[in-house]
Amino acid sequence: MRAVSSDFAPPLKLIAPFFKYGVLFYLLSMTALLFFSPQFSYAQMDVAGWVHLFLLGFVMMIIFGAMAQLIPVVLEVGHAVVDVYYIILPLLGIGTVVMIAGFWLMPALLPYGGLLVLVAMIIFALESIATLKKSTLRTLTVKTVAWSNGYLLLGILTGFAIALGLAGELSIDVGMMLKAHVYAVLGGYVVLTIIGFSLILIPMFSLAHGFEEEYINRAFKLVITGVALVFFGALFGIELVMWSGYLITLTGVVFYMMQIYIIAKLTVRKEWDIWAKSMVFAFGALGFAIVLGVVAFVTGKESFLHAAVWYLVLGFIASMITGHLYKIVPFLVWFERFAPLVGKEKVPMLHEMYPKEAASMFFWFTASGVIIAGTGMMAESDLFFKAGASFLFMGAVFLFLSMNRMLSYGK
Amino acid sequence: MCDITKEMVFDAISTVIDPEVGFNLVEMGLIYDAIIDENCNVHVVMTLSTQGCPLHQMITQWVKEAVERIEGVGEVEVEVVWEPAWNISMADDNVKKILGG
Repeated sequence: MRAVSSDFAPPLKLIAPFFKYGVLFYLLSMTALLFFSPQFSYAQMDVAGWVHLFLLGFVMMIIFGAMAQLIPVVLEVGHAVVDVYYIILPLLGIGTVVMIAGFWLMPALLPYGGLLVLVAMIIFALESIATLKKSTLRTLTVKTVAWSNGYLLLGILTGFAIALGLAGELSIDVGMMLKAHVYAVLGGYVVLTIIGFSLILIPMFSLAHGFEEEYINRAFKLVITGVALVFFGALFGIELVMWSGYLITLTGVVFYMMQIYIIAKLTVRKEWDIWAKSMVFAFGALGFAIVLGVVAFVTGKESFLHAAVWYLVLGFIASMITGHLYKIVPFLVWFERFAPLVGKEKVPMLHEMYPKEAASMFFWFTASGVIIAGTGMMAESDLFFKAGASFLFMGAVFLFLSMNRMLSYGK
Repeated sequence: MCDITKEMVFDAISTVIDPEVGFNLVEMGLIYDAIIDENCNVHVVMTLSTQGCPLHQMITQWVKEAVERIEGVGEVEVEVVWEPAWNISMADDNVKKILGG
């Protein structure tokens, strides 16, 4: 029999705080969004603050918690040093708060917050690489873990250089470095990780079988190439290289969507639950983001570019994460509290372990909020953007309540 | 001579439920065979719906424990195979109907 992942599952008390604080940061991000306007520039410090609150506090926090559980599943070996996750959590959490204070209140704090985040991410990346070295498997998902962690290291190094630059400690072209940083973290780490883990999680939850992996293999190669081109093009100021990188990445993402379409056609499980709704919304948003990106390129309209990024981040990435939370968190709680009782007493099914009404309210408020605020961004309408932000805030409240209910189930 | 039958083994395993989908392993079609020798040792051949299943080891343990509860059973071994790969056509009609929404 092959080595099995459940031997290596980290305890719930190690993973749960990542999800709990990640969702708290999500709620804070959606609250802060109420005070923003749809017209902005990426160079604004308050916008950069919000982006870091959302991406570090929510996206990275949840991804790190999920990786603590999923890396052993994918690699079929235990973590090299699982206890480092106890250190990563406070470093990332406190580092994020200090960075936000730096962006919003006192730029001199930025390098200090940046340093804490840098240390958290270096520990995470090194632990992931050490775990990777223990595994003999070389599946696509394993390769994405390797590449995405490499890009994460590049992303945080450039990010730290920016923090030093903004604090006046280092003389660099912040604008170009910012592009390299954003692309390495968002494209190189977040999108690559999503691509790799989609191949495991989406067929697992939809019970889709017997599909070829040709498209996702192409997507993987194209995205790693595209990200490298944009990263080095931005670092050395070569526009042509950057643009070819954008095009190659876009082609890779289209291949990824084709793979998901193939999996979706083979889906056995037609249950229209919160996970299924979130996946449909996420991929719809990704498709729309691509269309908006092309329109922005053709027309040169910056508001469309903003809206494309909005749909990519809030529509696709956030929905992929929150949709999976409703699967992963009940599983972790069940595994810890109910698995030992199997055969001895009646245990709940996973779908009984999340509050369905709160989950439904979260989904509809959030989906509506993304669309309304996205429209506000395209039309540069403050009214629409603030209305959408209000919906997103309400959705975040329901997500926060759902997370607390799921984590306390059976306590 | 052993009087444990394949049906008895399958009945015992049907008490094991996959917590994700809510069906028992037998009606899911995940149990391929149960070989019983003259000393009542049982060798269960089964699969899982996905290779990356984080419950892999637990499910095989539950199957082993369920079969061990049969009176008079000897050694129980559970073998997980990936060929033939599981697909929905192996499941009972009620499972197909409910999963299909």
